[in-house]
Formats: sequence, C-alpha cells, structure tokens
Amino acid sequence: MYLDGGFKRENVQPNASGKQGGKKYALAKFGFAAQSNSMNPNWAEENLQTIRTLMERSAVYRRALAPIMLFAGVMGVLAAVSGLLFHLDSMPAFGALWLSTAAIVVVEALLITRRQALKDHDPFWSPPTRRVTQALLPPLLAGLCIGGGLLIVCNYGVDLYASLIWVLFYGCALHSAGFFMPHGIKLFGWLFMAAACALFSVGMLQEIQFGIHEVYGHWVMGFFFGVLHLAYGAYLYLTEKGKNAA
Amino acid sequence: MNPEPFLQLDRVIHEKGRLAIMSMLAASPELSFTELRDALAMTDGNLTTHIRALQETGYVSVAKSYQNRRPLTTCSLTAPGRKAFADYINLLEQIVRQNRPK
Repeated sequence: MYLDGGFKRENVQPNASGKQGGKKYALAKFGFAAQSNSMNPNWAEENLQTIRTLMERSAVYRRALAPIMLFAGVMGVLAAVSGLLFHLDSMPAFGALWLSTAAIVVVEALLITRRQALKDHDPFWSPPTRRVTQALLPPLLAGLCIGGGLLIVCNYGVDLYASLIWVLFYGCALHSAGFFMPHGIKLFGWLFMAAACALFSVGMLQEIQFGIHEVYGHWVMGFFFGVLHLAYGAYLYLTEKGKNAA
Repeated sequence: MNPEPFLQLDRVIHEKGRLAIMSMLAASPELSFTELRDALAMTDGNLTTHIRALQETGYVSVAKSYQNRRPLTTCSLTAPGRKAFADYINLLEQIVRQNRPK
C-alpha cells in the first residue's frame, strides 16, 4: 500500500504482474521503495542507499569563499603590477611569475579552507571538499599543460594567448565546481569563458589582419585573476555579512 | 522473520517525501525551501505540507528571514529530529542485517 503523501499523481499502466501500477510520484526517481511492511528483504537496503544518495547530494560545499577570492585578487593585482613594473615580458619570466603566483594562491586557499574546517569542527577532506577538488582539477591541469606548453615552445608573443587559455580553463573549472557550490560560481565561470573566447577572437584578428602585437598578458591576467577576484570577493563578503546579520 | 523492527519504524519519517526531506537536512546544517523543492522535485504545496508535519512533530525547525529584500525560508533538523532520523537508520540497518543470508 502506498501512503499518499499528496504527491503529483499520474496514471500509469498496470505492471507486469497484472496489478494496477497505482500512482507515480515525482519522488519516484529517488527510488524509495513502496512504504509498506511487505518485508521485502531488499526494501530496507534500497531505502538506505537512497538516503545515502540524498545526503551526499545535499552536502553542499559551504566554506566561505570571500577570503580566498580576496587573497587571490590581491595576489593577482600584485603580480600584474610587478610584471608591468619590472618588464617581465619574456615568456619564461611571464610563465614563472604567474605560475608561482598561482601556486601561492592554491596553498593559501587550502590553508584558509583548513582553518575554517578546524574552526567549525568539520573534517578538512570532507565529501563536498573532495567533490569540488575533483571538479576543479581536470580543467586546471589541462590549462596548466596547454598554457605552460605554449610558453615553453614559443619564445615570444604568446603571452596573450597563454593568458586567455588560462582564463578559459579557469572558467571551465569554476563552472564545474559550481555544481557543488553556492554563490553563483557557475556564472562567474561563464564570465571567464565568454570573455576569454571574445578576447581570443579579437587578439587573433588584430594580429592576422593588422599585424599588431602588443604585450597584453599582464593586463589580461591582472584584470581576470586580480580585479575580478577582488570584486567577487568583496561581493561575497558583503552578501555573507548581510546574510549573517539577517 | 522478526517483525519487531518494522513495527518500531517512526511513522512520521517512514513516508518517502518526509524521509527525503529528513535525509537532505541530515547532511546539511540548513537548507532553504527552494533548495529542498528543487532537489526533491516537489511542488510548493507538497513540500509545505510535509515540512509542516515534520515541524509539528518537532523534527524540523523553520526560520524565516530576508535575503536581498526577498523572504528566505530555511529548514533545519532539530536535536529530536536528528535523533529520530538516526534511530530510523539504525532500524533499517537492523532489518538489513536480519534479512542478510547467513
């Protein structure tokens, strides 16, 4: 017997055993077994499995992103300013500057996350953290290999394209992680991807049509990884503060 | 087969809609009404009915606030709710063990 919880009902065909199929509920996709005491040996096991799935899905990554974004933004701006001031325009210098900045940001982001987990008495390597890391890693590694490879192979003039490749793959990584995170991370990822594609086209056109090549790499990196992160961090900081106040 | 564990199952939780809500809330400090509705593909009316039933039993607490000038309803498990859910899971595990071939 089904216990009617008031779910949306749809007419369904009688089942194979010839009995009336009864009602189909919106929640049927979660696979909860019929609410009966028919003592079907698999019933309890199926219910436990469904509960486990629902609990895993519900555990959203909720660590405060504001400090991580603000730190990444500050580091991005500092790196861009250093690159422009000290004319780090050769491809090895460009790559070394930005990859070391990225390494520092990743380490600090992990430390901030760990600090927050300890403060909340939560495990650091929790299922949501694992899922977010798994979502971030493939696009970030792909960006690192392609962008880094480009800088190694070409001696001059690819800073803009390497930057845009990093921006593009970073956007992909944010979008993937956005499935397990709140705060419009997916939208932020889309912004990176769309802007990278648009700038890539403009940069290519400029070089092919007019033969112009300017050293834009530090500007692009500073804007996307510095200014945008600062802006997003400030937005998160203000909205999280507002939410806590409410 | 011993029918005893079946008889002890909490009838409030032992309904698939409410069990789904309890499962989601058990894994998260709190969830908004919208998050629950979207995750469980329930209508507003159904979710409200189930949450009210859980609230009346004291298993779920509902808080109303505002976010960006919009009303925000958040639900969370109470201590008795968490205990009832844990007991329910324990009973299910007991049933599984009981039915496992020896």
